[in-house]
Amino acid sequence: MDIKKSQQDLQSTANDVERTSIDRRDFFRKTAALSVTALAGTSLLASEQAGNPAILKPTPWGTIWGDPVTKNIYGMPSKYEHNVTRRYTKLLASGNFRASIAVTPLQDSSGIITPNGLFFSRCHGGVAQIDPNEHRLMITGLVEKPLVLTMKQLKRYPSVTRTHFIECPANGGQEWRGPQYNSLQFAKGFMSCAEWTGVYIKDILKDLGVKKEALWMLAEGGDSSKMSRTVPMEKVLDDAMIVWGQNGEALRPEQGYPIRLLVPGWEGNLCVKWLRRLDFASEPWYCKEETSKYTVLKPTGKAIQHFYANEVNSTVTSPSPEINWTDLKDGDLVEIEGLAWSGMGTITGVDLSFDGGKNYVEAKLKGLVLPKCWTRWSYMHTYKEGQELLLTSRAMDDAGDIQPTIDQEELVVGVEAVYHRNAVETWKVEKDGKITHVQLRSQYERKPNGEIMIEGKA
Amino acid sequence: MMFKLNKKLLISVSAAAVLSLGLSACMESASPEKSSIQIKKDIDGGVSDTLANDKIGPYYVNTNAHKVDVKYGRAPTKAEYDAWNTDVMPDGTGLPKGQGTADEGSDIYDAKCTMCHGDFGSGGGGYPALSKGNAYDLHKTLTNQRLKPDEDGPVRVFGSYWPQVTTLWSYIKDAMPHPDTGTLTDDQVYSLVAFILNANEIKIKGVEVDDDYVLNRKRLLEIVMPNRHGFEPNIDGPNGPDNVRKFYANPKNFGGQTYDVKNPASRCMTNCQKPTAKVVYIQNGGINDFHPPLSNVKDLPKKKASHGFDAKKAYTTNCAMCHATDGMGAPVMGDKAAWAVYTAKGMDKVYANGIKGTNAGMPPKGGSDLSDTNFKSVVDYIISKSK
Repeated sequence: MDIKKSQQDLQSTANDVERTSIDRRDFFRKTAALSVTALAGTSLLASEQAGNPAILKPTPWGTIWGDPVTKNIYGMPSKYEHNVTRRYTKLLASGNFRASIAVTPLQDSSGIITPNGLFFSRCHGGVAQIDPNEHRLMITGLVEKPLVLTMKQLKRYPSVTRTHFIECPANGGQEWRGPQYNSLQFAKGFMSCAEWTGVYIKDILKDLGVKKEALWMLAEGGDSSKMSRTVPMEKVLDDAMIVWGQNGEALRPEQGYPIRLLVPGWEGNLCVKWLRRLDFASEPWYCKEETSKYTVLKPTGKAIQHFYANEVNSTVTSPSPEINWTDLKDGDLVEIEGLAWSGMGTITGVDLSFDGGKNYVEAKLKGLVLPKCWTRWSYMHTYKEGQELLLTSRAMDDAGDIQPTIDQEELVVGVEAVYHRNAVETWKVEKDGKITHVQLRSQYERKPNGEIMIEGKA
Repeated sequence: MMFKLNKKLLISVSAAAVLSLGLSACMESASPEKSSIQIKKDIDGGVSDTLANDKIGPYYVNTNAHKVDVKYGRAPTKAEYDAWNTDVMPDGTGLPKGQGTADEGSDIYDAKCTMCHGDFGSGGGGYPALSKGNAYDLHKTLTNQRLKPDEDGPVRVFGSYWPQVTTLWSYIKDAMPHPDTGTLTDDQVYSLVAFILNANEIKIKGVEVDDDYVLNRKRLLEIVMPNRHGFEPNIDGPNGPDNVRKFYANPKNFGGQTYDVKNPASRCMTNCQKPTAKVVYIQNGGINDFHPPLSNVKDLPKKKASHGFDAKKAYTTNCAMCHATDGMGAPVMGDKAAWAVYTAKGMDKVYANGIKGTNAGMPPKGGSDLSDTNFKSVVDYIISKSK
């Protein structure tokens, strides 16, 4: 044993013990102070005879047998949670809800994992119900050895587990001209986050002899829409995965059972569901939705294509239009909580503004901070009754990106972009504690050369 | 040997990365708005962790598992390969031979497409329009920005927006008709493409695709779409991936903002909004058509009303999209004459057609998952409203 090291360890252990005991002493001192108050005055409510039946009366669930363990052998949420669901709007429905989206209740989400039943669901030809025994993955094109795998064979490859969000690039896409949804679920819920298990595509390719002319990979679904997208080789050889596991169980059909592509941080539609084929070529495919949709039209008339990563973004989740402050009293300490995420890297910090993004203070990150993953953040606030606030959060990542203001983003990409909106978002706290979705933005005009400018400015 | 090829590719990719980084760094130092950011960026403009000390970022890795060539599966047979190798590329790779005219396409369109895409591709029922008129004229609208409610926005339909005509061909072949994909022959697809080219007034080598123009593989590949060069970055050719990397290395190209990662304290903390920015509220109630309605109440779910099946509601959910409006090709609820044609053949026939679907475009049970009994009561409801 390295004596020196062990002494150091002991020393540090001793320090830890001391630190703990100081903390503990501190805690007890405070508690003792409270106890004195409790004894001197009284911390009990005056009417001791009465009381709330929730406490005074025996409950049925506290006295009678519960359900046998044989019931619900695949577990269900409490039936009291029946309002916690994905939701949809007919505005974004096409084809009897077969080319549609149902979005995640972020207001009811805790931590950084979305339960599988609440993971947002977007499909182009309905949710396919695939028999895994009959499903195959085929790899073809510019490879020396094309390959067919059964699902059982695919799962023999060494597995990788990663936690990543998936976001539809149309998240927030209805609000380029102004706020539309007084709802966190609809304003920001076109995304979810899960722990995925699968295989690196590069691990399968190692034995297949990818030819050097291969610059692009086609990923194609086996559903009726045969959704497909072109992925550049660099991503394929970096962190692209074929996943079958979602939060410790099989993918749900809504997420592409039995397998989907996962390109961490990139547009949800690139993570092709019900995946059945990978093809390699020297030129891109211009797939069905690759240019017709999922492109960002700028005021110049040029549209951005192959816009892969969802940029750095954040939102306040509590309070939100769904979680208001109407029950708070003057002076209450309340936690302002939110999510931050970036498809371009790891969140490095989040700032919070009380005046709509004019001035910021630093919020604290909390919990796990992982690359291309939801990150929780928090700020402790003292509620002042009747005080109006404009709560705006602003995240930054380790790639050097920070969320733009609405004006900064729109002066470049205009208001017809549809996709990839990541400007800061604002909730207004009203005098009564209700929360309203607002935006802080200038009015725009166009110069004769087409450039967008702030109204009234030369 | 295979692995060597891969390695070579990896090296060429990273060499390209270094080159483009060098370029963007030069561009940035030449720019008056200097930036001190010097991070190695991925192709998407982001950064990612590399393997170090058996970890990638926060994740432990069994490096032994990823060093070896794991081999499972088998080669596809020729027949298997051909069955799935149906992708079509802009240079014509994968595009089969065949032909058709807009006239022929028109008949197929009326039978299989109108109910969703409307007359002449005008759109409807939540499905996209396929044409809004002359593609060359409408292409000019792409610089439009609807800054005020009364202004015209850009028209983004096939003719005016899509850069490649092969995308339309494979879209129809792969994914249309929407409820019943993979059922069209190659000639039918050529006919439908001709019909849509016609509706968009697209010219092939200066010749308009009129009703009798015979579209075939060769002629289709001669089409240059009006918006062929309307997209950035340029992804074509051997420099495609490098162009993408360069484009995303500069957040100014896509409206992004940066801060100095090495000195985050320098980011804006005061007066970060333009003084012209005002609080804007949701107008006219915004969008609040939410299903189910928002609620955070914790209670027991309400018992479903036990008075049976709601045919009207089922109609609204499953049928109204096509049967509520004219121009979708389907008989409109309330149109006595239109429905009389069908009911004259007997209700059994009407039920059977509805349940099994028809070639005229009625999907089986309208695409619903209603039981036969419930579906029949929806049919009864529609007929009762059309007498």
